Amino acid sequence: MLQSRRDFLGVLNGGRAGFDAGEWLAARGHEDFQAQAAQGRRPRVELPPGVKAVKINSNENPLGPGKAALDAITRKFPEAGRYPFNSTPGDGQLVAAIATKFNAKPENVVMGAGSQEILKSAVRAYTSPTKALVTASPSFENCPGVAKKLGHPVVAVNVDSAFRLDLNAMADAAKGAGLVFLNNPNNPTATVHGAKAISDFVERVRTSSPGTVILIDEAYHDYVTDPAYQSAVPMALSTPNVFVARTFSKAYGMAGMRVGYAIGQVDTVKAMARLRMPYNISVFGIAAALAALNDSQHLEQERARNTEVRAFTVKALEGLGCKCTESQGNFLFVDIGRPAAELRDACAKQGVLVGRDFPPFEKTHARISIGTLDEMKRATAVFRSVLRPVTTTAGR
Amino acid sequence: MAFTRRGFVQTVGLGSAAALTGSWIGARGRENALWSAFEPTLQAVEPGLICLSSNENPLGPGKVVMKAVRNAFGEGGRLPGRYSGTSDDLIDAIAKKFSVKRENVVLGCGSTQILRTATHLFTAKDKALVGTIPTYEECAGYAEMMGHPVRPVALDAEFRMDLDKIADAAKGAGLIFYCNPNNPTATYVGAKATRAFLTKVNRESPDTTILVDEAYFDYVTDPDHDTHVPVAIENPRVIVARTFSKAYGMAGLRLGYAIGHADTITKMKEWDAGSGTSSLNVLALHAGLAAIEQDASFTAAERARNTAARDFTLKWFADRGMKPTASQANFMFVDIGRPAKEFREACRAKGVLVARDFPPFEKTHCRLSFGTIDEMKKAVAVFGEVLGKKAATAA
Repeated sequence: MLQSRRDFLGVLNGGRAGFDAGEWLAARGHEDFQAQAAQGRRPRVELPPGVKAVKINSNENPLGPGKAALDAITRKFPEAGRYPFNSTPGDGQLVAAIATKFNAKPENVVMGAGSQEILKSAVRAYTSPTKALVTASPSFENCPGVAKKLGHPVVAVNVDSAFRLDLNAMADAAKGAGLVFLNNPNNPTATVHGAKAISDFVERVRTSSPGTVILIDEAYHDYVTDPAYQSAVPMALSTPNVFVARTFSKAYGMAGMRVGYAIGQVDTVKAMARLRMPYNISVFGIAAALAALNDSQHLEQERARNTEVRAFTVKALEGLGCKCTESQGNFLFVDIGRPAAELRDACAKQGVLVGRDFPPFEKTHARISIGTLDEMKRATAVFRSVLRPVTTTAGR
Repeated sequence: MAFTRRGFVQTVGLGSAAALTGSWIGARGRENALWSAFEPTLQAVEPGLICLSSNENPLGPGKVVMKAVRNAFGEGGRLPGRYSGTSDDLIDAIAKKFSVKRENVVLGCGSTQILRTATHLFTAKDKALVGTIPTYEECAGYAEMMGHPVRPVALDAEFRMDLDKIADAAKGAGLIFYCNPNNPTATYVGAKATRAFLTKVNRESPDTTILVDEAYFDYVTDPDHDTHVPVAIENPRVIVARTFSKAYGMAGLRLGYAIGHADTITKMKEWDAGSGTSSLNVLALHAGLAAIEQDASFTAAERARNTAARDFTLKWFADRGMKPTASQANFMFVDIGRPAKEFREACRAKGVLVARDFPPFEKTHCRLSFGTIDEMKKAVAVFGEVLGKKAATAA
C-alpha cells in the first residue's frame, strides 16, 4: 500500500514529494472550523516549530483516498476546465453508480457537496417555525445549527446512561416535529443501534407522527463492526418520509473532496434536489467517488485498520482509567474526568489535536478520532503524560 | 410540489411579458445539469468531440494552477482525506486583488452557490426576481422553485439588456440578476451605463438588491469596462459575483465568490449557516489561491486567445449573412435562421457540441462557445456543411 502511494506521488510530483501545502488548510478539520467560526474565532492552530500535528479531531481517514481514487483524480487533470456534466465520466454516472449499489434508481439519489449540504437542505425543507427539529444531545451539530439560524425550534433529547441515542424519548419528541436527525453511529458518542431498533423507531414515528421526516445519517456506516447493525437504506427506499445521508468523507477518505448524498424515496429526497447547488461535485470528486465505489478492497482494508487501531486506543485509554463508550465509529468518546478543553490544550502543545467540546459532556468527556497506529502510539503517549493523576496543576 | 416551472411562471403573468416568461427556463438550467434529479443529464463529452456548449476555457487552468493542485495532495496523497479546513488564505488573496477587506468576500461552490444564496435571501413571495430574457437561468429557476415571482424584461433590438425597462420592472422587486456580459446573448453594457443604472435603481427602489454577475469579465475588450466591486463594497444593495470557471479555466473545480458590503456578505454567510468551507473541495481552494496570485498576464493571454477565436468566428458567420450579436464574451449568439435544436443535433452528429435552447429565441438563434482557434476552424467547417443545407423547419 505504501509503495503504491509512493508510485502515485512519483507521478504526481515528478518523483519528489511537494511541500505540504495542505498544512495551512488542514491544520484543523472542517468540523472544528465550523464550531469555531460559530464562536467568532479564527481557526488556526499554533504548533511548536518543527512539530507535525497528529490530527485526531475531525473523524477523518488518516490515509486519505485509496490509490484507485487518487489515480482517477490525476487522470482527470486534463478535464479541470470542464464542467462536471461535461467530464468523462460525468455527474450522471456517479448518481447512476450509487443507485446501482443500492438497487435503486437515479432519482432516489441526490448528491451533496459533502453530506453537510444534504443535512442543511433537509433542515430547510422539513423544519419551520412550527415544525421542530428533533436531534440527540450530543450529536452532530450541523442540523441544529442550521435550524437555530433559521429560527426553527430544536428539541435535543439527551443520550441515555450508556451514551446511546434514547430512541424511545426521541420517538416521543418526534410527535408533530418536522424532521428527526438520527446519526447512527452517533457522532460524538460513537454508539450504534441495530437494525431492529432503528426499524422499530421508524415504525413508531410513522404511526404516531406520519408527517415527520426521518433523516438517518450513516456517515460512519463503513466502520461499524457490530453484527446487529444494518444500513437503513433498504428501509428508506421502501418507506415514505425516511431517507439516509451518506458521505465519502469518512471510510472512503475523501473529506476534502466534498462528496455526499441522500438516498430514499423520490418524494422524500426531491426536497434536497430542489435546494441542491448545481454541479456541486467537482470533476475530481466525481472521478474519485466512482473509483472508490469500485474499490471494495480499499474499504475493507480501511475498516480492518480502524478496528485494530480503535482496539489499541481503547485499551491504552482504559489503562489510564478512562472509560470509553462502545465505539462503532472511527472515533472514541472517552471519560477523561476533566474538561475536554484541558486535554485539548495540553495535547495541542505536544502536537496532538483532539476534538472540540460536546456539551453537555464537555466537563468530563473528550472525542478522539482514530488516526494511524503510529499516530495513536504517539497520541496515547501524550495522553499518558497529560492524563496522569496530578495533585496540582501549578507545575504543568 | 410538482415540478412545474413552466406552469408557475405562467401564473406570474405580467401583461405582455407573460408570453415570454412561459419559456424562460423551459430549456435546461445553467450549463445543463441544474435540475438533473428531474431531467436526464447530458452525456459527458466523449473524447474527440469539440465542446462549444458550456462557455468553458478550452485550455483549462494552466500549469501554475495544476501544480498547486498536485501539491495539494500532500504527503502520500493523504490530504484529500482531510476536511478542507480554513479558506482564510484564499479569501485574503481575493481581498488583496480587489483592495477590499476579507469581510467583503464570501466563497462559493462555483458562483452557482452565490447565485442560489442571493436568490433565496433577496427574493420572497412579495419580492420578485427581475432579469432580462434570456439570461442565465439559475436565479429564475430558484425563485420559481420557491414560488417567488419572476419578472422577465425583454432585450433591446441589439440583444442588449434594456436598462430603463429593467429599472422600471425593478420597482419594489427583491433582486435584479444583472449578468454582464449577458449569457447567452454575449452583449455588454459599458461601465458608465451600468454605474448610472445602479444609482438609478438605488434611488427609485432602495430595497432592491442588484446582483452583478461578472462571470465573463475577463473576456471583455470594450474600453468602457470596469468592475463594479468598488460600488458593491460601499453599497449594501449591490453584490458582484465572480467565478473561476471561465477565464481561469477551472469549471471542473467548482469555485466562485461574491464581493459586497460587509453587512450583505455577512447575511449571505449566515444564510448558508456560517458553514465556511463545507461546500469547497480542498483541491479547488489550492487551485484558486494559485490562480488569483498569478500576475495579470494569465488572463491577458486567455483574453487575447479568445479575442482571436471570437473575431475569426464572428467574421465567418457575418460573411455568410448570419448576424451575430456584438460578443464581448467567450461565446456568441447568432441568428442561424432555423431552430437551435436542429442545428445542435446536426452538429453533434459531426462531432461539434453547441449550446442548449434559449427561449424565446430557440427557433432562430444559437449560442456557441469559442474553443481554440484550431477547434473553431474545424467547427466552422461543420457549420458550413450543416448550414449549407436548407433548414428542415422554416424559421
